[in-house]
Amino acid sequence: MSKKNSRLIRDTYDAPVILSYISMTLFAILCVFPFYYIITVSISDPANVREGAMILWPKGFSLEAYRITFSHARFYSAFRISVFRTIIGTALGVSISSAMAYAVSRPYLHGHRFFTVFLVFTMLFNGGIIPTYLVVRYTGIIDTFWALILPNMLNTFNIIVLINFFQAVPAELEESAKIDGANDLVIFAKLMIPVAMPAIATITLFIAVYHWNALMDGILYINTPAKKPLQVYLNDIVLAGQTEDLFQDSSSKWLPTMSLKTATIVASTLPILVVYPFLQKYFVKGIMVGSVKG
Amino acid sequence: MKQSQTAAALIPKEKKRDWKKLGRELVRDRWLYLLMLPGIIWFVVYRYLPMFGLYIAFNEFSFAKGIFGGEFVGLKYFKYIFFEHRNFWQLVSNTLLINLYKLIFYFPTPIVFALMLNEIRSVKFKRTLQTLIYLPHFVSWVVFGSIIITFLNPTEGIVNQIIQAFGGQPVFFMSNPDYFRPIVILSDIWKEAGYGTIIYLAAITGVDPSLYEAGRIDGASKWQTAFYITLPCISETIVVMLLLDIGRMMNVSFEQIYVLANPTVYETGDVISTYVYRLGLGQGRFSLTTSIGLFQSVVGFILLTTCNAISRKAFDKGLW
Repeated sequence: MSKKNSRLIRDTYDAPVILSYISMTLFAILCVFPFYYIITVSISDPANVREGAMILWPKGFSLEAYRITFSHARFYSAFRISVFRTIIGTALGVSISSAMAYAVSRPYLHGHRFFTVFLVFTMLFNGGIIPTYLVVRYTGIIDTFWALILPNMLNTFNIIVLINFFQAVPAELEESAKIDGANDLVIFAKLMIPVAMPAIATITLFIAVYHWNALMDGILYINTPAKKPLQVYLNDIVLAGQTEDLFQDSSSKWLPTMSLKTATIVASTLPILVVYPFLQKYFVKGIMVGSVKG
Repeated sequence: MKQSQTAAALIPKEKKRDWKKLGRELVRDRWLYLLMLPGIIWFVVYRYLPMFGLYIAFNEFSFAKGIFGGEFVGLKYFKYIFFEHRNFWQLVSNTLLINLYKLIFYFPTPIVFALMLNEIRSVKFKRTLQTLIYLPHFVSWVVFGSIIITFLNPTEGIVNQIIQAFGGQPVFFMSNPDYFRPIVILSDIWKEAGYGTIIYLAAITGVDPSLYEAGRIDGASKWQTAFYITLPCISETIVVMLLLDIGRMMNVSFEQIYVLANPTVYETGDVISTYVYRLGLGQGRFSLTTSIGLFQSVVGFILLTTCNAISRKAFDKGLW
């Protein structure tokens, strides 16, 4: 009896296990805390935020900061641009990537090896910031919506993941469809896309998150304030402290910047936080598919 | 004689048949070529054309004269950045040092976290932990950076409020060059270490369960199991990841540095990409910054191909 008990205790309360539980729980709390904190500050009564008191739980309740954030015209245009670029950029990126990956993945295709090297080389060497900027400028899309879509529409890594996935599909599937007289377009659309759905879903998630979070292309290619995406707007407001616009409305003069900044951060992160739990199961699978090629 | 004649007659015929076959196959696969066409065009325009644009590192570029119209100056800009430029080598060393510190302090963290997560028996609790620690990866650097800057604010920030509560003086974290690199490394751990565990957790699931069984029979403790069974079994993944990280030593996340840095910390925090952006687009020094970018690309290319070759040779695994 006592022997069984002591073994049970040793199994359950080993020092490394306890240490693991404690450290991972603390790290998980640390990962969530920033989000909890900014939400708390943003909904607290601005009067309490102004005093500079430490806020660990909501002090008072006010949505005043959100009212001002949402009534700001530039926030709206930036938000709209980010929504559009995410939808259009993801649709184009995913369809062109999968089509290309499928074609390149066919081992019998003439140029199969050439196209693979053609793709992989872009992971090793690139023209860099300035030459890419010049191409964007010379293709006439600088300072337009398309500068947020085209220059980073495809990602070599994503395409390689898809190629690996398509190559793992048994050849018999394609052969039997060909015997039935289907052409490559039909095989790709009706047969291969459904089979590759787990990989395509993951890539969709990656591309969508990229577009929502992208900052660099907006900074490099967009000058007109009304054309800037959300992350650039956020950078202007929160980091560069260009809050004068926000304070033009006289009723907001008394609001502390902290309330406004946190409200803006929350409003622009919320879409990610809302969809995150639903998408979580996909990306873990997807990373397994092709992070390092064996 | 006759035999050789037949052979000679056969060869061109054979070749002709091959061309026909090739033509037939190209026609047969026309839909596949159509499928890859948009992607190929994109890669040519936005990935390969910029490589030709690197030519402006060797001439005096101006928009009026175009990419190939400027006066050819050879290696003038390279001589300038290598021998005269005031802070070129500082940019290179900042870039390399930030990456070196990331290798020392960031790189082991996801491995340790994966080993720890592996010890957690309750599947539900483990999954909850994973959901929470992957979260920061999906938030942009602007958001995450502004949260960090808010936390470290000298007056309103929570960190300084705690310091002051214990009677200390407020610290100006974001404007002190000594603090910049630690902030970059720590924020990277905070944002990415959780997500980084995925690859190691995958490797751990691949460990042969009979090894654990054998360890249990031999009475190995949890520490011994982790150090003598799990770690050696995932060592291949670890070394491959390490080599790939070394291969990317010339690149630092532009967005992370852009968001966290400000002019007061440039001496330790300004990296090649942020400098090229500021001077190139801000002041129109296109040829100068392109030569810096070309240097970065070439060194990066050599590093990455070398590391990948080592990884391929030793483990038959790599980026390609």
